[in-house]
Amino acid sequence: MRRVIASLWFATVSAGQNFKRNLGVSLAGVFTMGLILFLVGGALLVTHSVNTVLEHQQANASKIKIYLSDNASLSAITDFSTRLQHDSRVLAVSFEDKDQAEKEASQDPQISQALQTLGSNPLPASLNLTVRRLTDLGALDSMARNSPIVDKSTATDYNPDVINKLHTLIDIIEIVGAVIAAILFVVSVVIIMNTIRTAVYARRTEIEIMKLVGATDWFVRWPFILEGILGGVLAAVFSGAIVAGGYNLFVHYTHSSIFGVPFDGPYTFALLVILAVGGVAVGAFGSFLGVRRFLNV
Amino acid sequence: MSVAIAERPQVASPVTSLRPVISFHGVNKVYPNGTTALREVDLAIHEGDFCFLVGASGAGKSTLVRLLIREEAATTGRIFVDGQEVSRMSRRRLPKLRRKFGIVFQDYKLLTNRTVAQNVAFALQVTKPGQRHLREKIEETLWIVGLEDKLEKYPDELSGGEQQRVAIARALIHRPRIFLADEPTGNLDPDTSWGIVQLLLQINHRGTTVLMATHNREVVDLVRRRVIAIEDGRVVRDEAQGRYLRQGEATL
Repeated sequence: MRRVIASLWFATVSAGQNFKRNLGVSLAGVFTMGLILFLVGGALLVTHSVNTVLEHQQANASKIKIYLSDNASLSAITDFSTRLQHDSRVLAVSFEDKDQAEKEASQDPQISQALQTLGSNPLPASLNLTVRRLTDLGALDSMARNSPIVDKSTATDYNPDVINKLHTLIDIIEIVGAVIAAILFVVSVVIIMNTIRTAVYARRTEIEIMKLVGATDWFVRWPFILEGILGGVLAAVFSGAIVAGGYNLFVHYTHSSIFGVPFDGPYTFALLVILAVGGVAVGAFGSFLGVRRFLNV
Repeated sequence: MSVAIAERPQVASPVTSLRPVISFHGVNKVYPNGTTALREVDLAIHEGDFCFLVGASGAGKSTLVRLLIREEAATTGRIFVDGQEVSRMSRRRLPKLRRKFGIVFQDYKLLTNRTVAQNVAFALQVTKPGQRHLREKIEETLWIVGLEDKLEKYPDELSGGEQQRVAIARALIHRPRIFLADEPTGNLDPDTSWGIVQLLLQINHRGTTVLMATHNREVVDLVRRRVIAIEDGRVVRDEAQGRYLRQGEATL
């Protein structure tokens, strides 16, 4: 027991001492690791934010207005509305009469002015649908067009172009995000391994002496692994602070714009945990690999 | 100077001498690049021996030392240290093997960012963590090598001879059975070299087997102990009270 505690103590103290004695190399390692964690965190956040915005757009896009003919009877409208409500593809149906349509349209000052000039209300009543899946919009649109109560001139506000573009955009962003993450992963492993190898190389005499006087492999390894973990934690703190701070500022500045990104608390927390775990894992594993070459004495 | 290194019996008795503490049986070493460093080496070194290993640079002295501590493995043949076969030892058992040795080199291999006391303590901390009375052991060992007043100095503040004494103290603190010195006087002037050899003789006098690889002719000729001469990877001479060169051999 005494020996185990003494070993742990030795590993911890020498990890700290080594970190301090080779402060330049240690900080360079922390900085590199921090920079990469920052890039990883940044890439994850940007992808997440873009997806949030797009999902918001998608939520809007999953709505369709079915314009009703002015001649349609109330019972026919109710029948059609009931049929839609029982359709499994439909999430919600609401009826908007001509007055409501006018009120909503009047929010735009130009339209309001035009309506006033016109004197009468040309806007049709409508059934507003929210669908479960975007891909069902096309089918619902054609079903509506075949109904006799629908306004023949402008049946719906369905615009397949916008929806297809949105789909493509989401796909592209997901692919680009995955590619960037993969590249960053490879780059980070290579850079971190080399940084740690440089740090270990600076202490090869120490390792050589340890091996010559008969220290076990794990006894030699532990201080370096602890040092790697220490570096990883510092890098995670440093990059986590910048990523979370930057995200906060970004949310703050885009708050009033059309691309307003809402602040996602749980996601930020998860991201910080990912960075911390990633930093510790990469630091420990990098040190393990870095020492391995010098252990073969 | 009265020396308190080991409670071990002094010079080995004829009975214990029957089993050598180090033995080589038909050992060959060929490096991966094709260089043959040792050829058919047969050797026996007994407990309490003091041996000089002499030969020109590149003759195979350092390879022999490296095979003993298994820094390198023999290509063929068998090597025994303290009854254990080194040549087929698993990697896991190497630390135990190396703790039987105290080793010093020509270039001292001290940690320049640690004090003398820390350098000496290092050997014990990494092999026997949690050692009691560490400070007393350091002071005692540094007293043996004559550096009891340099505990808090850094290696850079010491002369070459003093640095080699620190290395000897570090190799001695865990009380090894066998002391290996690979060209320990290679970087030192004759007077300082003589001091180091005196120290090794004292260590041997207390019962520790000493093997010293050297090409310091004056030292070998003055001490007149066992000399094992290696030439081109072969043991060409093994004399109980030898000189650096064979009797009548031309001097350079």
